[in-house]
Amino acid sequence: MSGAGSISARTGIVPSVVWIMWRREMLRYFRDRSQIFGGFSRTILWLVILGFGLGASLREIEGYSYAEYILPGVVTLNILFSSLQCAISLVWDREVGLLRSVIVSPAPILSVALGRLFGGATIAMIQGGIPLLFIPVIGARIELWSLVAALIIMFFMGMTITAGGIVIASRLKTFEGFGAISNGIIQPLYFLSGSIFPLRGVIGGVGFLDIPDSVRDELRRLGVFAINGGWVVQLPVWLQTLVYMNPVSYQLDLLRYVLLDFQQLPLVADVLVTFALAPVAAVIAAASMRHMLRRR
Amino acid sequence: MTYRYGDFTAVDDLSLDIPEGEFFALLGPNGAGKTTLLNILMTLTAPTSGSISIMGYDVVREVAAVRRELGIVFQDPALDDRLTAAENLEIHAVLYGIPRNERQTEIRRTLAWASLDNVDGRPVKTFSGGMKRRLELGRALMHGPRVLLFDEPTLGLDPQGRRHLWDRIATLREKGMTVLMTTHNLSEAEACDRVGIIDRGRLVAIGKPTALIAEHSASETASLEDVFIALTGRQLFDENASARDRMVSFAKQGGEHTR
Repeated sequence: MSGAGSISARTGIVPSVVWIMWRREMLRYFRDRSQIFGGFSRTILWLVILGFGLGASLREIEGYSYAEYILPGVVTLNILFSSLQCAISLVWDREVGLLRSVIVSPAPILSVALGRLFGGATIAMIQGGIPLLFIPVIGARIELWSLVAALIIMFFMGMTITAGGIVIASRLKTFEGFGAISNGIIQPLYFLSGSIFPLRGVIGGVGFLDIPDSVRDELRRLGVFAINGGWVVQLPVWLQTLVYMNPVSYQLDLLRYVLLDFQQLPLVADVLVTFALAPVAAVIAAASMRHMLRRR
Repeated sequence: MTYRYGDFTAVDDLSLDIPEGEFFALLGPNGAGKTTLLNILMTLTAPTSGSISIMGYDVVREVAAVRRELGIVFQDPALDDRLTAAENLEIHAVLYGIPRNERQTEIRRTLAWASLDNVDGRPVKTFSGGMKRRLELGRALMHGPRVLLFDEPTLGLDPQGRRHLWDRIATLREKGMTVLMTTHNLSEAEACDRVGIIDRGRLVAIGKPTALIAEHSASETASLEDVFIALTGRQLFDENASARDRMVSFAKQGGEHTR
């Protein structure tokens, strides 16, 4: 093995390195029962218990049951958890894990970063797929092509969020506990994405008053999504602004569009944020990983 | 060679020449600059001024070439706990560009060398400290390096494990491998060809262990430890726990999401 030409290889993409780092993430994931368990327990809590529980009072949102409405939200929640877990494990890996021996190897760090990103995105897609197994339980009818499209969107979501997480993780010197990430990052992104309530109007109803179709259409024109009767509540402007600023809102909207054929934001924005943001975020993540590893 | 960060000079105008095939021990109290020096040799940090070359390759300009020549064993295991020994080695083989058709043979050979061929299939987290260290040493040799860097190779091993590892290192030495190790174990240092003592970033003494003892100590029965204390003083070197120490202790408590 000569050193010739290896300087240029340090900045390049070596497929075998990307592949082995991806495979490492996969092996780690399938040996970690707790992560898979977390995916199932979140699904049962949110989709089944909250979906049916709250769904009993919120009879419907635009013709969809509450459980159907939050299905893409629960998928998103699982993607958020697994992507950020993958990003945070970078801090552990750097301090007490294999990554230390990786960064003194001649392998280009860009390929290492890409392998990890693809790994994070793949795991996110699998974890996000867990709620989809519950489709028969909540009684939704979703076609095969929708599922395939959803999985592709989920992969890109996973990629973007893992990349975002890596940017954050690479700035952490030490890391003691997942709570800060969970409470400080996952929950705002989740709750402010239209995951559990419609974006432009929240309507709580007990269902004792039927709204005539003409009134419902009128409300929809005004940007208010009506539930089968009850009160009409509009989100305060500051809350709306936060929702519009959250990239997850657009990804989730696209996911809900392909799964339920229901969406609330401009489709062009959804597609752009979902597919164009991922490569941009990946490049930034690779750069910050490089920066982090050089600082030591 | 000098390395500074901010006002602090971690390595101060240090000059060192280790000939090929030498077995060299670097001693020094905590915070003396050993880790910084190793990081520079590993091409992780560039020196502020001066230059270093390893096997003729410059550590700043010819990073990839230097990295291929180096086999590195860190102070504590840099392994993936959830993977098996063979899986860890496979990652190493790919990172160092060992051709696909040779990888399995190399992995088998390394496992046999490290006496780990019977525990394949178990994740590394079930290994003892000695087993992990053997695996790491085998891994460091896998890509055929000519220089080995060991950071406290025998730290935390029981006497049997230490003896075993020491025997392995001795066979490498016979094969003409250049070895640079840091250690706190002064009896191990006495077994090396040459010893360098560094204190506050400066090389305060260098030479054969016997010569150092003769030079810096009056008594006949003095050991390297007496020389070390005479040169670096009796004061304790207490440092604040680094970010890494805090992470490790947190991980040992088994906090949420420690992996």
